[in-house]
Amino acid sequence: MIGAAQRTEYPALRIFFKTIAARAYPRVMAANRQKTWLFFDMAFPVVGALAMVLVYEGLHAPRQYLGFVVMGGAMLAFWQNVLWSMAAQFSWDRGNGTLELYVISPTTFEGVLLGMALGSMFTVTSRAVVILVLGSLLFGVTYTAAGTLPAIGVFLLTLSALYCLGMLLASLFLFYGREAWHLSNAMQEPVNFLSGLYFPVHALGAYVGGAASLVPMTLGLDAMRQLLLPGTPVFIPAGVEALLVAIQVPIFAVLAGISLRYMERRARRDGKLVTRWE
Amino acid sequence: MPRQLIGFAAAVRLGWAVSSNWTRPILFVTYAVLRPISVALILAVMYSVITHNAAAARPYLAFLIIGTAFWSFIQEGVSEFATGILEDRGRYHILKYSYMAPLGFPVFLLGRATSKLGSAAASVVIVLVVGTVALQLPINPLRIDYPLLIAACILAFISVIAFAITLCMVLLAGKDTHGYGEIMAQFLYLFSGAIFPIAVLPGPIAWLAALSPLPYWLELCRRAILHGQVYRMFPSLSDGDVLLRLVIATAGTVVLGYVLYRWTDRRARGLGYIDMEANW
Repeated sequence: MIGAAQRTEYPALRIFFKTIAARAYPRVMAANRQKTWLFFDMAFPVVGALAMVLVYEGLHAPRQYLGFVVMGGAMLAFWQNVLWSMAAQFSWDRGNGTLELYVISPTTFEGVLLGMALGSMFTVTSRAVVILVLGSLLFGVTYTAAGTLPAIGVFLLTLSALYCLGMLLASLFLFYGREAWHLSNAMQEPVNFLSGLYFPVHALGAYVGGAASLVPMTLGLDAMRQLLLPGTPVFIPAGVEALLVAIQVPIFAVLAGISLRYMERRARRDGKLVTRWE
Repeated sequence: MPRQLIGFAAAVRLGWAVSSNWTRPILFVTYAVLRPISVALILAVMYSVITHNAAAARPYLAFLIIGTAFWSFIQEGVSEFATGILEDRGRYHILKYSYMAPLGFPVFLLGRATSKLGSAAASVVIVLVVGTVALQLPINPLRIDYPLLIAACILAFISVIAFAITLCMVLLAGKDTHGYGEIMAQFLYLFSGAIFPIAVLPGPIAWLAALSPLPYWLELCRRAILHGQVYRMFPSLSDGDVLLRLVIATAGTVVLGYVLYRWTDRRARGLGYIDMEANW
């Protein structure tokens, strides 16, 4: 008789955390191995921000507006990452056959997505810091030192909410084939506009700004600007904005969980987990 | 009909089908216009924050909106076209068949690029309509100088297609160049005078930008649509002078593009780039 392999049952929590680490690993390591993408990740927001800086130069805007653009450019790197590497990721995974492996493994989609999010946060933060430092030096932007620590706190809250939103979008994108590409593309600029990436959110007015606050970047970025750039027109006081972003974190996390369960059931029923070349 | 023309028409149809058959036409148009409209709105808000909508600054708003509207041609013609050709190779694995077809590869590329420019036309019109209605730009369709606009656009399309075809041949050399068309379009954005006058650029870069056909094309579009009611990048030049510069810059782009195309094409065949596995 051939000796049967020793089967070990691991607790679910251990599998969950190991999944997070396993999925975060390629996000951190592979992203830095591919030098062309390193350039791509940084060049896109820098060039976009540079264009907007030159628009302000053309309009003879006060210098503080250049600071809005530089901070917006740094945050753009995160939104791009959420759209292309979180929301649309399951579509790519389905295309290359990884999604079906996730489904038959003993782990959960939440573990996979959290791993993606943590890995991405680390990688994109390093790129965003480069964009921020480079942009600030290039355009002579200065910040309020006293606001640095609270701004870092708001930044971490914003990242948590943003990536929870990314998990929610990932579940919705589970059904998309080629639409995923177009949907991500279509969501890029409207959110850049609504979140006030290149201008103070205050300029959008109460209604549009209020509706745009559903995207955590809107409130988070505005709060960070208030804390770091003196003279930022106040949309809502920074403390309230931070509180609202903090509330968004569990809301998006729970919604993502519910949506993932529902979409997975539907995808199994409709055979969407293995469909390719749509 | 000559065989080349039939082939060209087939390539246009193919390009249109690949771009649009993933959804219904209305949804396709919605997606296509979301981006340029959002960019136009971003610029309009930036403008109003700084100028407080002062009457004296209105020509500059017109400058921004018309530049953004016509930029869709570059976005589609350069970025989306390059992505499409790289997708043909890496994702659908059909590029080698297009290359081997008796039609001739340049005709195929020309057709694909033309379909991209065609699909951009809808977003150009919609952004101009939004600009007229929502931002109250004084655009009157009956007062547009159509001969000037059409002449400028034809010349610009020739140079955009020449540039885009050369770019995609260069990008075939990379395994993971997906996304570089977008970056290149972003760089052109800086050099084109689409959203700020090229005079704002630092000296040597402004000089380089002046060699490109794009600033002259956009200047002529603005003049053709709004005559004297728009900010001018080249106030000392007459319409004829700007057109002449556009002709020269277009001729330069086509000649340079042709030379580079022949070189990159030979290289692609020699090194097996046409059917290279690109790990899509």
